[in-house]
Amino acid sequence: MAAILEPYIYEGGVHKHSLITELLEDLGGYLIQKVPAATEVTLVMLIPRGDVHLIEELGTKLLGKLTRAPLTGTEIAVVSPTLASHHLPHSACDVAEYLRRGGANTNMLGLARGMGRRVSLSDNYERKLINEHDLAVFSFGTFSDCIKNKKPKLLEGVIVPKIVTGGPRDLKTEDIANADMYVGGIGRVAHRLRKSGELDSLDGMNEKVIEVVEKMREDLAKDPLAVLPARVMKEIHEQIPEIFNVLSPAPVTLQLDGLRVKLPYEQFHEKVEKLEFDEGVRLSDMAAITLSKMKNYILVKIKRESEVGFTA
Amino acid sequence: MEALETFVVESPVPEEGDAYKSIVADIITELVLGGAIGRIKVVVRPEESLYQMAIILRGSQPTVKVSDIGSVEAGNLAKKEVKISLTEEKYLPELLELLWARYGRAKVFQPERRTLIMNAEDTSAEIEFLKDMVVADPRRTLQSRLVEMAIRATPEGFRVRYHSMDKHKFVFVASEDALKPEWIQEANQMITELAEEK
Repeated sequence: MAAILEPYIYEGGVHKHSLITELLEDLGGYLIQKVPAATEVTLVMLIPRGDVHLIEELGTKLLGKLTRAPLTGTEIAVVSPTLASHHLPHSACDVAEYLRRGGANTNMLGLARGMGRRVSLSDNYERKLINEHDLAVFSFGTFSDCIKNKKPKLLEGVIVPKIVTGGPRDLKTEDIANADMYVGGIGRVAHRLRKSGELDSLDGMNEKVIEVVEKMREDLAKDPLAVLPARVMKEIHEQIPEIFNVLSPAPVTLQLDGLRVKLPYEQFHEKVEKLEFDEGVRLSDMAAITLSKMKNYILVKIKRESEVGFTA
Repeated sequence: MEALETFVVESPVPEEGDAYKSIVADIITELVLGGAIGRIKVVVRPEESLYQMAIILRGSQPTVKVSDIGSVEAGNLAKKEVKISLTEEKYLPELLELLWARYGRAKVFQPERRTLIMNAEDTSAEIEFLKDMVVADPRRTLQSRLVEMAIRATPEGFRVRYHSMDKHKFVFVASEDALKPEWIQEANQMITELAEEK
């Protein structure tokens, strides 16, 4: 079994940052995402636990900053009841931004008919799309009556962990049917969340999401995946060079138990299925490769060791 | 002048009323209605899917004529020109729309940002007409901004709406179900109380 990997974000200058990526490669870590912005660069990476200090030392030398990002390698759906100005862009977008600071890849999702109390609905397609993610954060409103009695029907049919954010602080998770976690203090607002109390609520939300993710990781560790998603990503980079032509910020998005490859399914699914590993196995032996509900991307869900019988 | 004499948002749970007050306040700021609204009262009852709003407006501003935003005079007499020299650019888009409709787009010359030149047969009559032409009516834009505010402030999905605008009194009721007559009555009661308030 490979060394235990720890998720970190490095923020620093572009100058000589390739030293970091080279060291990371030598140590057997994985670079998950690289976001250059003018003279700055943000590297999201998985570092072998014993070697974190090496990267940290080099990072300090380059005047960069290394922070732990526990949400790295997760894809989170931030669900807003609709796309109207009542729910977006404030609060829902701030929620998504805070999750990204924790290292997560987020997708914003506005339901077509999620508005109102009695009339709110979610579509089968929307539920399937949400279920492709690791977990979903639902951004609800100000009134506890709505959150308790009316909105939970939007959570029905979603099988991934569901975290609900809303205005009232005194609500409990048990009050909301189907929810796995409730975070208060982030209700409907018509301005950007920037006051200290609001930012505290967002910090609290990140902590709770991390709690849920850590629990999911523990569950995964009991029956590990046949292959690490990060390793599949590395193999995709090496064997399917077309991935470098994809303009999306995260051409390969990691999930806890799989990955989303942002290449057209019809053209590339065979290449992904035939992805070769040093052990002589192919990806299709260890994972289910399907057409994603998001555009025509490829969704890879890696099977567990108990099902496959070996780990790569 | 004080921004808002009365600003009340009521809800069965007081904290939720306060949270909603911040939403309404943000929307008023966003639509620059702070100066136009004198008193406002909002009642939200989520259990009944009910949203009521009563607003008393301050006396609104008069209409804006061309003579208020610039001067109209004769230009080159030989060419029978009429010249508008603007002192305030704020209403230029509205003014251009009106002039284009009157003379045609190609016949309105704008040699410089604040100067507009047109040709007319009877220049003096044209000058008189243009001086009194209404460029903008704040009352009409106010009304549309009020409607916009009402729609933004209402919880989304409350698609059944009632509104009435009587001079300075604006009443708005919205729900997800058919409106009950007593809700509208209640809102009218609210506006009367608001008007009588000292």
